[in-house]
Amino acid sequence: MPKVVFHKLGQTYEGEVKDNTNLVVRAGIRQYPYPHLRYGCGMGKCSKCACEVIAGGEHLPEPNWKEKKLLRDNLDRGYRLVCQLWISHDIELRQDSDEVWAATIRPADAIQATGVNSAPTGPLKAAP
Amino acid sequence: MSSLMNQDDFRTALESAIQGKSATRSPFSIAWASGTLTRAHLARWAENHYHYVGPFADYLAYIYARTPDHMTDAKDFLLANMYEEEIGGDRHTDLLIRFAEACGTTRERVIDPDNMSPTTRGLQSWCYTVAMREDPVIAVAGLVVGLESQVPSIYRKQTPTLRDKYKFTDEEVEFFDLHIVSDEIHGERGYQIVLEHANTPELQQKCLKICEIGAQMRLLYTTALYHDYVEQDLPLQRIEAVAA
Repeated sequence: MPKVVFHKLGQTYEGEVKDNTNLVVRAGIRQYPYPHLRYGCGMGKCSKCACEVIAGGEHLPEPNWKEKKLLRDNLDRGYRLVCQLWISHDIELRQDSDEVWAATIRPADAIQATGVNSAPTGPLKAAP
Repeated sequence: MSSLMNQDDFRTALESAIQGKSATRSPFSIAWASGTLTRAHLARWAENHYHYVGPFADYLAYIYARTPDHMTDAKDFLLANMYEEEIGGDRHTDLLIRFAEACGTTRERVIDPDNMSPTTRGLQSWCYTVAMREDPVIAVAGLVVGLESQVPSIYRKQTPTLRDKYKFTDEEVEFFDLHIVSDEIHGERGYQIVLEHANTPELQQKCLKICEIGAQMRLLYTTALYHDYVEQDLPLQRIEAVAA
């Protein structure tokens, strides 16, 4: 069973998940990494679940079109959208605070998802 | 008289009840997977599918209202499913309409209930009936576990086909993409509710039965889509030959 190490706000959490697990699905049914993992729309449109992959990234598939569209140069910084990933190997992730996410990850044209485990959002700039 | 199953055995039994009449066995689904449908066929599918999945939050709202107050976790899961279906991100039906437009039909045609087949109307009516009349736990088993939880596995097979064989763009097939994630959450929440609250042998048996009926209804719906819109262009023998 893949081991998931999750860092957030200076804390580290660890848990095991079944093979081929989507962590946003797990959080959606209140299982680890709930309640620590921030997520929103669950459809790759808001970027709230973005995490930096610290280790295990070599086992992940190439970023899909939604990740490329939303994360842009953050992909080069090692970020992925967790809602688009199915985990089959050990992985170590770090998620930014809401404030850092809003300042560095959230694209201006991302939807303002307010899912059950989402961060509060301020006003967004209008899409170009 | 059946005895009370533990949660693992009960889940396996639920999955088996659903698979028994899986909609993936219908001629429409086989033709879809083999790439032999036309965009016009897919447009008719979208015009019907809208009236089946469009009211999903309404179905859940009836169940929510009848779920006892002490089942707080179950109510919260249902509310989260409703919210995500409608306003958590892009409205799911808007993405279905985008796909429909890429198939050559219009928003007006999709939302017009006169364009659904009698069988689709029957499936929609069955969903409302279950939501309004069945024990809430049985209703969740029928609609969320029996119907909605099937969707990720179906769309996971269909999405690559839509891109590779039908040549739709990523954005045109986003309706199918999103369901791989969000319906997986919704289906799992349904399982959690049913596994926890179907706590007598009688309730468990009724949940299994309604899953079986739900899968039959979905198979009936997709089979009718084939007969109503596809059969005249694609006889069964041709589909079977391509799929073989």
